[in-house]
Amino acid sequence: MKARTFALFIAPSVVLMILFIALPLASVLVQSFYNTRQVFEVVQVENCTPGFLTSVCTTEERSRPKLDAAGRPVLETTFVGLDTYRLLLQPEAVAQALSAGGGGLPALFNLDFYRALRFTLTFTLLTGPFVIGIGLAVALAVNGIVRSLRGPVIFIMLLPFIITPVIGALSIRWLFIGDGILTVALEWLLGRDLSLFAEGWTLEILMMLYRVWHVAPFAFVVFYAGLQTVDQDTLESAIVDGASRFERLRYVVVPHLMPLIVFVTLINLMDSYRVFEEVIGFSSQAHRISLQYLTYSYLTPDETGNRAISRASASSMLTMIGIVFILIPLLVRTWRDHRVTR
Amino acid sequence: MVGVVLRNVTKRWGSFTGVHAVDLVIGDREFVVFLGPSGCGKTTTMRMIAGLEDPSDGEILIGDRVVNDLEPKDRDVAMVFQNYGLYPNLTVYENIRFPLKVRRVDASTHDARVRKAAAMVELGDLLHRRPKELSGGQRQRVALARAIVREPAVFLMDEPLSNLDAKLRVSTRAQIKNLQHELKVTTIYVTHDQIEAMTLADRVVVMNKGRFQQVGTPTEIYDRPANTFVAGFIGSPAMNLMDGAVAAGVFEAPGVRVPGLVGYPDGPATLGFRAEDAEVAAGPGGEIAAPVYSIELLGDATLVSVRVGPALVAARAPKTFRAEIGDPVSFRIGAAGCHVFDSASGERIEPAPAMASPGPARADLGSTMPIGATA
Repeated sequence: MKARTFALFIAPSVVLMILFIALPLASVLVQSFYNTRQVFEVVQVENCTPGFLTSVCTTEERSRPKLDAAGRPVLETTFVGLDTYRLLLQPEAVAQALSAGGGGLPALFNLDFYRALRFTLTFTLLTGPFVIGIGLAVALAVNGIVRSLRGPVIFIMLLPFIITPVIGALSIRWLFIGDGILTVALEWLLGRDLSLFAEGWTLEILMMLYRVWHVAPFAFVVFYAGLQTVDQDTLESAIVDGASRFERLRYVVVPHLMPLIVFVTLINLMDSYRVFEEVIGFSSQAHRISLQYLTYSYLTPDETGNRAISRASASSMLTMIGIVFILIPLLVRTWRDHRVTR
Repeated sequence: MVGVVLRNVTKRWGSFTGVHAVDLVIGDREFVVFLGPSGCGKTTTMRMIAGLEDPSDGEILIGDRVVNDLEPKDRDVAMVFQNYGLYPNLTVYENIRFPLKVRRVDASTHDARVRKAAAMVELGDLLHRRPKELSGGQRQRVALARAIVREPAVFLMDEPLSNLDAKLRVSTRAQIKNLQHELKVTTIYVTHDQIEAMTLADRVVVMNKGRFQQVGTPTEIYDRPANTFVAGFIGSPAMNLMDGAVAAGVFEAPGVRVPGLVGYPDGPATLGFRAEDAEVAAGPGGEIAAPVYSIELLGDATLVSVRVGPALVAARAPKTFRAEIGDPVSFRIGAAGCHVFDSASGERIEPAPAMASPGPARADLGSTMPIGATA
């Protein structure tokens, strides 16, 4: 393709990417280095109360938001460098927690950022293998059933993926919360009272269950498509060569699906590192928060109507850096494969 | 002794029958080729022997065992596929070693066996490569090495040369022939290419529409085709077939009169002869006289075709023969070079024994193998 034609084709998406991805990202990065706050001024206020003979006057100093001519609060933006990041990461508190007698990890996880990081990482790393494993198992099973049943089965399998995430999370929540039918069923099975929403770890398990239930169909569809292109000659060679079902899976099917497995893993890592719907859907803020939720909570105006924009920016920059770090091993692997195969 | 026996083997899919109750005894170390057009059931028959398809009826024996209920891996067969069926993520070495590995063969013997098998197909210096870095011919040799490394009782080859270009096909064909000779393993080979069948086979099984049409040595198949299908399938060009009638030892069709067919019953019949059994002369005079329909220069000969009724009939003339389309020519065919088939069933009709003409049509065909010459 000629360079000019190529440029014409690629231009719209480059423009849109700059407009909607690069510029906001740069803006967030810049904002994370600045702090904006209202300017307060100290004024002397004399209050006089009516009294006998003379009124009693007291003069006191009071700080109040400075208003401009139009009556709006005056804002002042200052460059604070990495101060906001320090505020988030709280290195002194970390050192304190990890020092002898500082309380160790539990103390560390009392700090908002580390609490969110702990949950986000656990969530990301634990759901991934289950999404891949269940997706692959279902794809193999569907590939094995009679052709006429495949359509309906695929449709049913896809339903969880089609549901709006928050609605899906809510429906799971209602199944388990209080006297939800599944809680009642579990209580009946285990013969004891359960309150799955009262404790952090049960909530955490439910959130992960929901995520796997929600995303596994995506993995399933991708793997199922991949299974259709497995070389039948190779598969039958393996049968005649004496490979068991498991060996065929290991030496023929999985290597064939490997690029897809890497793809699904990448997508899933990025998605689950940005876990957010679950926190809202399961109302788990009291027990478990994620990095994305942390950003959200900084953005929520407090009682005085202020948003912690710079902290939110810093937090989202840290989330992005986290995603990049977590993707590095996979990207390196893909790059190496790509170079080997040329 | 490890032969393969098919007894009444049938394959049905719903109401469609792919293979009709075939019987065959393949001897130890025999090289048998299943030959037929696509969809004739030859591959299905082989897949049933491999265990990749279950027969709907009948018995398959490998050696003395009935293998119907055995898994493919327990049948002691190795198979080579048209599309090679290599493991793309494994190196050539690991590909060849794969059957030994999954069969838990003593690991200390692997290296020697892999290298020996690779050497037999001349792959020695490619062992570290991956399949995608190999040419088609090299890939098929890897597949061959993978088949021989285990020293199976039976080789099954499903159109192994079909994806190779013409030149490579000839050399790989020779390699397969030599390999089978060296290894002395019973081999079943499926192809739609009659030249492969004729050059490789000890015996050829010609199949059509799920039935065996003829089982015999290449010479038998060529010299005495059992019916019009075999006659029309084997040979290059295939045998000329003309519909007409025999009356008192004379075959007649529009423009054709072949006398001397002693011992054949009177009535409608199909007469066949091979292009090389006819002599071409300019002008009238032979058994067949007609204007030239087409003339093809083959290099070593000239192929002259004329129309007889709806059929196109070809004869080989010397390479110097020249004629224009439309020129009158005649073909001289002796009764000895003629084959007579029943016009309804297509089956070969042998002359009545008492009046049989002496000797087969051409006794020397087996050694000269004329079909190869035109390839």
